[in-house]
Amino acid sequence: MLLLAILIVPLVAGAICALTHSTRALEWLNVLALAAVAVLGGFIIVGVLERGSIQALNGFLYADALSALVIGTTAFVSLVCSVYAVGFFRVEREIGRITTTQKRRYYVLTPFFVFAMLMVTLANNLGVMWVAIEGTTLASVLLIAFYNDKTSLEAAWKYIMIGSVGITLALFGTVLTYFAAAGVLGSESTTGLNWSVLLTKADQFNQHAMRLAFVMAALGYGTKAGLAPMHTWKPDAYSEAPLPASALLAASVLNCAVYGILRFYVLTVKCAGPAFPGKLLLFFGAASMVVAVPFVLVQRNFRRLLAYSSIEHAGIMVTAVGFGGRLGLLGAMLHMMFHATTKPLLFFCMGDVQQYFRTPYLRKVRGAIRCMPISATLLVMVTMAVTGVPPFSLFQSEFTILTGGFSTAHILLSMLFIGCVVAIFAGFLQHIVQMVFGTPRTTSPTITRNRWKLGASCGLAVVILAIGLHLPQTLFDLAQRAADVVGGTR
Amino acid sequence: MNVPIQGDLPEQLMMLLTTLILVVQLMMVPQRTLTGNINLFGIQSLLLAGVAATVAYFHQAGHVWFVVALIVGGKVIALPWFLKRLVRRININQDLKPSLNSPTAMLLCGIFTLVGYLVARPFAGKALVINSTFGIAIALMLMGFFLMINRRTAITQVLALLCAENGLFLAAIALTTYGMPLVVELGIFFDLFIAVLVLGILVYRIRETFASIDVERLNQLKG
Repeated sequence: MLLLAILIVPLVAGAICALTHSTRALEWLNVLALAAVAVLGGFIIVGVLERGSIQALNGFLYADALSALVIGTTAFVSLVCSVYAVGFFRVEREIGRITTTQKRRYYVLTPFFVFAMLMVTLANNLGVMWVAIEGTTLASVLLIAFYNDKTSLEAAWKYIMIGSVGITLALFGTVLTYFAAAGVLGSESTTGLNWSVLLTKADQFNQHAMRLAFVMAALGYGTKAGLAPMHTWKPDAYSEAPLPASALLAASVLNCAVYGILRFYVLTVKCAGPAFPGKLLLFFGAASMVVAVPFVLVQRNFRRLLAYSSIEHAGIMVTAVGFGGRLGLLGAMLHMMFHATTKPLLFFCMGDVQQYFRTPYLRKVRGAIRCMPISATLLVMVTMAVTGVPPFSLFQSEFTILTGGFSTAHILLSMLFIGCVVAIFAGFLQHIVQMVFGTPRTTSPTITRNRWKLGASCGLAVVILAIGLHLPQTLFDLAQRAADVVGGTR
Repeated sequence: MNVPIQGDLPEQLMMLLTTLILVVQLMMVPQRTLTGNINLFGIQSLLLAGVAATVAYFHQAGHVWFVVALIVGGKVIALPWFLKRLVRRININQDLKPSLNSPTAMLLCGIFTLVGYLVARPFAGKALVINSTFGIAIALMLMGFFLMINRRTAITQVLALLCAENGLFLAAIALTTYGMPLVVELGIFFDLFIAVLVLGILVYRIRETFASIDVERLNQLKG
């Protein structure tokens, strides 16, 4: 029931939004629906921790701890983004960047976008999961083309083209998995691609086909997660989409894509051992971290800076899984959780800066602390948090991952990991210090303050600080259980 | 040289149809008008429906008939109709000069076919039909991706993607003999239609904004 409810709420909300014309009603509908989704997400987490896994609709929907972790982060991120979006789009409307029709389009598309993301995590059937991941692309591409100018059309075109090639490869991986399993399961059954069925028999699959399936799935869903060298759509998409949509892409879709890779990882490990899939993930992870470094250091556009940070973090997640072992997997799960809760605030602060200075270029932004003290303070704080400075939670997850890396004797890669994280920290700090301090060059009219934006940012900042200082036992248990799912011990 | 004909009727039919699919794909490489490309895609989809129908008929797989209906209704009728309407609305029918000239592109596509067969070999074992169908399926995917890079207009890129998708369908049929579970097939078709719809909207907007559908003009975002 719970699983069905969490899917129906955004779907119905989206349908009602499509028929509603008052923008005020649309804003409230979005916020309330996503608040309901967040509450239901909380219940799912509790239910999974109690019972191990939940099924619905004769096993069509399925949630274990791994799904619950991704559902929880998705629901949380969608909620804070929807609150921020209300303020963001009101200001955009005031400074005349968008029309009411465009604003309406955002509120209609977002519930469907959230529905697709939740479907990814709840689908028992790997084929349906694929359909849902493609659904997230289709629901978000018009959000990227939102401003309808030359650059946003370019970004949307690249996004859907690169994304479609990736997703085609992922579907090929799914077909190959079906083939690998066909001999064991009997190919005609409709449950042939169901995760709960596949998992029990994965050790008897055709190894050759399963390995190729994993390569295809990692390439395909890796494109969606923005792992190097398939990351090229990311900076364009993140810099052109309206800010709340970018935040959703960076924090939620990223987790959903990594979730897709993880499902195939578990099957492949069970079928052909951890060596091969681990190595492939380490390659993608290391490549992503290394690629991000130079682009962060010399970046001129702070919206693109966000994308390279996201590429780095996607790299960290799959590297952690590649390290494997108890600590590596636990670190990966914690990182998915902490990254999703921390990242939106960085986007929100950058959004405030962009709306105030009316530019995405770093060199034009100086002295933010004098014009917008609260946002600038939060910006400094969240930069620390995202780059993994203690006491913030990403430090804990990165530390766990590194411990895992050293304990599984991946010495060189762990050193590389440290090097990249430090370099990106330095790059970020340099850019942010330049933005925040100094004297502002222009004084623009201060109509950019808005209680909704401020509320979302401050609320999220409190959450980030709180989980940095003390992680609730429930959330830790959730990450531990999810790591057990990935490790195949549950 | 006399080539002995192997296999029974369904196998021969499959071989014939998949080979024709490959031929149609190769004809697409030098084709320069957009409507010509769209027609070829329609023919290829019809042949694909033939493959699915062969499987459905000879394996008595009821749900595959449903897939046949989806392919005919969707890929043979609806999508070509939609794309042709798009071509009329944006009023551009000529493809621009591709990055590689036709002979070189043809040669590359020949190599892709070889690669397809090589990749397919370890999967099929001794089953010749699976080997050739799966080989052609992989070749179609590779050629689709190659055409996406080689072609410069937005619509031909979409068509190349659809051809890669056709290859994928063929792979699904070749590898699993029955295709995917029905719910998955339905979902894939649903996604495909939405995707083409969204791409159509984008193509139209690109034409409005850039006064062209040359994707090489989409080059402002860097770093």
